[in-house]
Amino acid sequence: MDKTIQPLISLRNVGKSFKDGQVRALDNISFDVRPGEFISLVGPSGCGKTTLLRLINGLIGVDEGSVSVMGAPPVPGPDLAMVFQSARLLPWLTVVGNIEFVLSLRGLSRGERSQRALALLGAVGLRDFAGAYPHELSGGMQQRVGLARALAVEPKVLLMDEPFAALDAMTREVLRSELLQMWSRRRMAIVFVTHDIDEAILLSQRIVLLRPRPGRIDEIVDVDLPEPRWKHDPRTLPAFAEMRAHLWARIHDMVRDGAELEELAGAFPTDDGLEKSDL
Amino acid sequence: MTEELAKTPPTRPESSLSTAGGSKALPPAQLAGRARKRRRIERGVVLGSQITIALLVVAGMFALNAAAGKLIMPKPTDVLNQSIKMWADGTMIKALGQSVTVIGLGFLLSASTGILFGILLGGFRFLGRVFDPFVNAMNSTPGAAFIPLIIVWFGLYTEAKVVVVWNAAMFPILINTAAGIANSNKDLTEMARAFGAKRLTLFWKVMVPDALPSILSGLRIGAAIATVGTVISELTMAQSGLGGLLAAAGNRFQMDKYFAVVIVLMALGTSITALLRFAEHRIARWRVSLREGS
Ligand SMILES: Nc1ncnc2c1ncn2[C@@H]1O[C@H](COP(=O)(O)OP(=O)(O)OP(=O)(O)O)[C@@H](O)[C@H]1O
Ligand SMILES: [Mg+2]
Repeated sequence: MDKTIQPLISLRNVGKSFKDGQVRALDNISFDVRPGEFISLVGPSGCGKTTLLRLINGLIGVDEGSVSVMGAPPVPGPDLAMVFQSARLLPWLTVVGNIEFVLSLRGLSRGERSQRALALLGAVGLRDFAGAYPHELSGGMQQRVGLARALAVEPKVLLMDEPFAALDAMTREVLRSELLQMWSRRRMAIVFVTHDIDEAILLSQRIVLLRPRPGRIDEIVDVDLPEPRWKHDPRTLPAFAEMRAHLWARIHDMVRDGAELEELAGAFPTDDGLEKSDL
Repeated sequence: MTEELAKTPPTRPESSLSTAGGSKALPPAQLAGRARKRRRIERGVVLGSQITIALLVVAGMFALNAAAGKLIMPKPTDVLNQSIKMWADGTMIKALGQSVTVIGLGFLLSASTGILFGILLGGFRFLGRVFDPFVNAMNSTPGAAFIPLIIVWFGLYTEAKVVVVWNAAMFPILINTAAGIANSNKDLTEMARAFGAKRLTLFWKVMVPDALPSILSGLRIGAAIATVGTVISELTMAQSGLGGLLAAAGNRFQMDKYFAVVIVLMALGTSITALLRFAEHRIARWRVSLREGS
């Protein structure tokens, strides 16, 4: 990676507290996101991943340090888009209406809006459901609409907060590969929050591992796996297993370092626990 | 929906796949036919029970009339005759017109002011907190308590009655609107904010539509109160409208006449409710189908 490129997002010594300082959510967080980079934030529940996304989106402000997006403090708007864990569609608007809604926030004309909304629905395979209401769709389809809505505004930065966590394994697999294809075509920067270590390795170019109470950076890992990954599934590669073992080792260190054991066990219920019991 | 299903060709091209497993699945036309039949039977049973109950009520009236005399219960046939007479000579139409005027004006006033102030108090948390005790005090006081004051201020006629209705029906609408907006879905507002919605857009495009179900239930309560308030004001202020007819008939113990008016009031209340339900269907279609779907 070329280190001389101006970072798109830059966090410097960011600290954030809630409840008049009683809850320390984030402490001394610094990292950069390069243009077009796919970066994952991984860490146990409550370590401040959602808070970090909110800070980058400009929905809340920092207490200490600074966040900048394209050289300026972030403002919610044209360059940023968020995909949430639940789709958060407006239930009184149709599927196409939901996408047109965010396009209207960008000041697009009516004709342009519906044209682009339909195009995006086509891209996620839901053109036939344009006139349906959100409750008529399955969870996976709703999440697709959420993705289409975020892509419709053509953001420079796509923020994703555990977008696939609530979906079944099959849908998740399909949407992951769709996301990778979308990303390889458009090359916006993606900040992707997940609980799932495998998912983080599978998708991203870099992983920021966070530890809880207060949320701090534990390690930033480069993921050097061949691209494009939707074509060559890297999960069978030895490099993938190595990376996975390394990250789990770090998490077990976290446990040993005194972070609450039960919290971590709850936060990472994946097959690692199975492996152990199998032994 | 069912018609659409029925129109789709019921037969599928024979394929090797649909021999063993496919034989169980019925063609859509047959499924739709079954559903239609079930619905028809259900509707028939419901309607039959309703007619039976209505006939029982009428029979009970006849029995009570025979046992206790026409002062306690008029003969249903007398009520019918009296109704025909009152509709024919125009008394009923005139009274209905007067009552509908008071209900309509009062309801329109309370709906517009209630929704307006509700939006303000629900949208600006500071205003909401300041006015909360006053709104609650007004809402908890029976509307009839203000009638003497309203008579002193506005007199006895239509405008004063409209004020009575307005005062009684506005607060439930206001409170429901304010609560709906104050409790609007935070996830949705955060979503809109994340995509760059400014305050006004957030308010009109997210919070108010989200509060619509709550506003509509406020309007339903308001309409019921407006009907009650109209009749009370017509009974207690200058006698007019259906309430006036009620009082006149009751005072003279003309129970057949009295019942004829009660029937009209029932019909009026029912049609107002039906009208609002229709409006809800039109305005919040997504929500209605959401409820039916679950
Ligand atoms: N608005 C808020 N008010 C008070 N405390 C908050 C608020 N938002 C976050 N917190 C606290 O900050 C910490 C980090 O929360 P955050 O939601 O960012 O965690 P997370 O990493 O996204 O967790 P999860 O994986 O469970 O979604 C938590 O201890 C939480 O209680
Ligand atoms: Mg979170």
